[in-house]
Amino acid sequence: METAVHSREIRKDNPTLHKILRSIIWILLILLTAFTLIPFVWMISSSLKLDREVFAFPMRWIPETFHWENYSLIWQKVPLVTYFKNTAFIAIVVTLLQTLTSSFAAYAFAKLNFRGRDVLFLCYIGTIAVPWQAYMLPQFIMMRSIGLYDTLWAMVVLQAFSAFGVFLMRQFYRSIPTELCEAARLDGLSEYGIWARIMLPLSKAAIATLVIFTFVNTWNDYMGPMIYLTRDINKTVQVGLRRFIQENSSDYHLIMAASLCSLLPVSVVFLCLQRYFIEGIATSGLKG
Amino acid sequence: MSQSEVRKVRYRMGKLERKNTLVAYSFLAPNFIGFAVFTLVPVICAIALSLFEWNGGDISKLKFVGLDNYATIFATKKVAEKGLAYFFNRADLGIALKNTVYYTVVTVPLTIICALALALLLNKIRGAVFFRTVFFFPYVSSMVAICVCWSFMLMKDGPVNQIIMALGINFNKGWTADSTMAIWSIILVSVWRNMGYYMVLYLAALQGIPRELMEAATVDGANKWQQFWHVTLPQLKPTTFFVSVMMVISCFKIYDVVAIMTDGGPGRATKMLVTYIYDEAFIKVRYGQASAISMVLLVIVLLVTIIQFGSEKKFSND
Amino acid sequence: MKKMLSVLLAVMLMMSLLAVPALAEDQVLTVVTWDATTTPYLIAQKDAFEASHPGVTIEYVDVASQDYAVKATTMLEGGDTSDIFMIKEIDNLINWQAQGFAAPLDTNGYDMSGFVGTEVNYAVDGVQYAIPFRSDFWVLFYNKDLFDAAGVELPTNDMTWDQYAELAKKMTDKDKGIYGTHYHTWLSAVVNWAVCDGVNTLADKNYDDLLYFYKLYQDLEDSGACMSYADLKAAGLHYSAAFANGNIAMLPMGYWYVSTLIGYNQDGTCNFNWGITAVPHAEGVAAGSSFGNLTGAMINAKSEKKDLAWEYISWLGGVEGAKATASVGARPAWVSEEVAASMSSVEGFPADETSKGALLPAAVAMEWPVAEKVADIKTIVNEEHSMIMAREITPEEGIEEMNERVAELFE
Repeated sequence: METAVHSREIRKDNPTLHKILRSIIWILLILLTAFTLIPFVWMISSSLKLDREVFAFPMRWIPETFHWENYSLIWQKVPLVTYFKNTAFIAIVVTLLQTLTSSFAAYAFAKLNFRGRDVLFLCYIGTIAVPWQAYMLPQFIMMRSIGLYDTLWAMVVLQAFSAFGVFLMRQFYRSIPTELCEAARLDGLSEYGIWARIMLPLSKAAIATLVIFTFVNTWNDYMGPMIYLTRDINKTVQVGLRRFIQENSSDYHLIMAASLCSLLPVSVVFLCLQRYFIEGIATSGLKG
Repeated sequence: MSQSEVRKVRYRMGKLERKNTLVAYSFLAPNFIGFAVFTLVPVICAIALSLFEWNGGDISKLKFVGLDNYATIFATKKVAEKGLAYFFNRADLGIALKNTVYYTVVTVPLTIICALALALLLNKIRGAVFFRTVFFFPYVSSMVAICVCWSFMLMKDGPVNQIIMALGINFNKGWTADSTMAIWSIILVSVWRNMGYYMVLYLAALQGIPRELMEAATVDGANKWQQFWHVTLPQLKPTTFFVSVMMVISCFKIYDVVAIMTDGGPGRATKMLVTYIYDEAFIKVRYGQASAISMVLLVIVLLVTIIQFGSEKKFSND
Repeated sequence: MKKMLSVLLAVMLMMSLLAVPALAEDQVLTVVTWDATTTPYLIAQKDAFEASHPGVTIEYVDVASQDYAVKATTMLEGGDTSDIFMIKEIDNLINWQAQGFAAPLDTNGYDMSGFVGTEVNYAVDGVQYAIPFRSDFWVLFYNKDLFDAAGVELPTNDMTWDQYAELAKKMTDKDKGIYGTHYHTWLSAVVNWAVCDGVNTLADKNYDDLLYFYKLYQDLEDSGACMSYADLKAAGLHYSAAFANGNIAMLPMGYWYVSTLIGYNQDGTCNFNWGITAVPHAEGVAAGSSFGNLTGAMINAKSEKKDLAWEYISWLGGVEGAKATASVGARPAWVSEEVAASMSSVEGFPADETSKGALLPAAVAMEWPVAEKVADIKTIVNEEHSMIMAREITPEEGIEEMNERVAELFE
């Protein structure tokens, strides 16, 4: 909006300056876009080559012959459909649980005063700071003991209660004026009511953010499924991808094809949710 | 106010507080139970493990060794003999620490600047949906593919070096095989991958800036730069705080990119704390020592985070 | 503190034992391994064993090869009851044995003569804990068509390293983009040759004998006779793809590459003629000396079908298993004329006598010995190796670092 307001003014004052500014922004954008996209162009072109052409010099951006069959090969070489189903299941359930429980817990951390709040919150932050590799083993032994090893639920419980979501939502809730909650309390709304009727509707952008991050992280997680999922029927896409890297050969062209395929679902999720970043919410928020 | 009245008020406050606490815990419970069982308890186990020697297998083989693991990783004997320089130049932990801090100090501000710039550029612009999606792409793609791809881009005769040569800079070496550039290749990939991710956070936060503030600033005759400096930036503080905390933590925990692209090399040029932990735990099977390194990491990150929280409080008091 | 942790872990372990259901009703052996669906010898072994043992099914648990050690270790630590774990690196077995995961094997009456002594690598204090079934040693691959086109005489089973270097330079043709030889980025591909004399090992704390091989390599790289390490490292270019491109004349590589090449010839990935010879030897070392690696199988101490598991791994290592392994071009641990014959009779194996002669090496040293702190030594040597190869330091400096840092380990 800042751009909008201001550009209107510039336009009034100085149409040339406005034009120059515009073009600078666009040039910048185009350069950044190129920087971001060139690796993907390479990935697409590699996914249509033969394995030995992938790293051949001089490099060719456009493959000599297009090997479209790579895209059907990946589905035959490994049970990619099963992997996609598993990944989708884990990602969806984790995202639902994570969003719901974190926004609930974050409300307490952000807007309620209670004994032990800071200590508990420090626990959350503290565990974010410990690398997973350090406590992977005790966690694994425990998961096994409750019979979750090699089930999709292992991945669900592992990721659904992460401290990250709580932290993220807490930060967003803190930016919502406390006066709003107090006013609602005076109106006789219970804390649950405040959460449901005021916080949730106001935090659409935050929730969209959390949904995107949780979904993407779960979708792309490799180490977790690698350790916890063993049977082929339980594996996820990322684990499946590594099957193209073998002891004595690596099918980079197939890795590229498969990872481009796995890019699609996450991009769709992003596309669907990103409109929440356009809808302003704060204006109505302040007016209560 | 009489004594009894004060007591009454206190009593009521106490009751209120207790009720509040109960309500608060009911909010926390669903997340906290899962969190405690599946994360907190294992983490506590790992902390305890740093005081033991354990090379896996039966738990009867756990041997309490006190601070021995710490003495080993800090190479205390050698350091006492040869001075601190030994720690930072020769000991694995010292080198890993140095590399990790270097990586973090460069990556965090660089990513934040890029992310913020992108968010501001894309906040209101024609075709924003397209660009936003484009910049988010790197974060969405799978790590293997990205790292393989960048390894190629950064080869001796690869596209990046060709551009550099075209700019007249004489650099003719594969990035990942050069001990000064290797860490920069990790930084480059990290920034490239994560700027879109943090851009999303900033985009969401930009929606939270009340339009009235902007309008008021314009009425007061603030130019665009002043507006940005005095209105936008302060409003983005909670997000910047969150972003910087998360980034510092995740930078200290850098693992995948290094594991796939350089494997800590050449030599120990990109050895990071977590690659070191991974090595100790799973290659050398010394879980106690691996836990001790994690504790070093934990302490550093907690210190940084506490400092950041301190400054957050200061900000919000302003 | 210790008590609390022990109790906690004990409770976890006990619960884990209760939670795992016993699966004894049908005769299924679970075998944890890597690349199960694509590795030809695993498929051949499974088929042959199931054919000769009706009512028994082999079920592979497939793990990505680069994560095998981590995944398998985690499974074992967590009390997994899979019957058999295959062993990729000797240190893995040594670790697993120390942790009590490997069941001791009763090898009384089991003929191990065909392993020609390699089986001791899987023994601890005289007790056997695993049976080797694959033993790869290094050979020199060459692209016959390139040699014929250049009119250069083919490499032989008796060449010194200097002769080999000369040959590599002779075969290099920069205009046509032909490289005389190719070195993969591993330590083993470049300097492991120092252990071929059977006296040196990479754990003997002195690395001066690697200098010759680093110098040899750098000379070849400088003259353009092989691709540069830095590029190979960055691209992760796989030697299999590199050699299959058809512009590399020679490639020192493990025997396992034979089956890959045969596969390539069959599916048309590459269609040139190739052959193998023994690796070159240093002055004063017998021709045909090489080094290699073992792949084996152990029985999980928690397996509930140890007898059947023993039947499987003893079969796997023995003559019958060896034939199945050899039938697809992999090299079994069991060495005999019979097995060598079945190796060279694999369809697609080069028909010339030199290649056949390369099948029976004079001596095979272990790539890495079983030794104290070998995992730490490996890390150090590999780190310095990457510095030398990337030309960040000279070979002399790197070797001095190796000597110094390894010595520090034992202070």
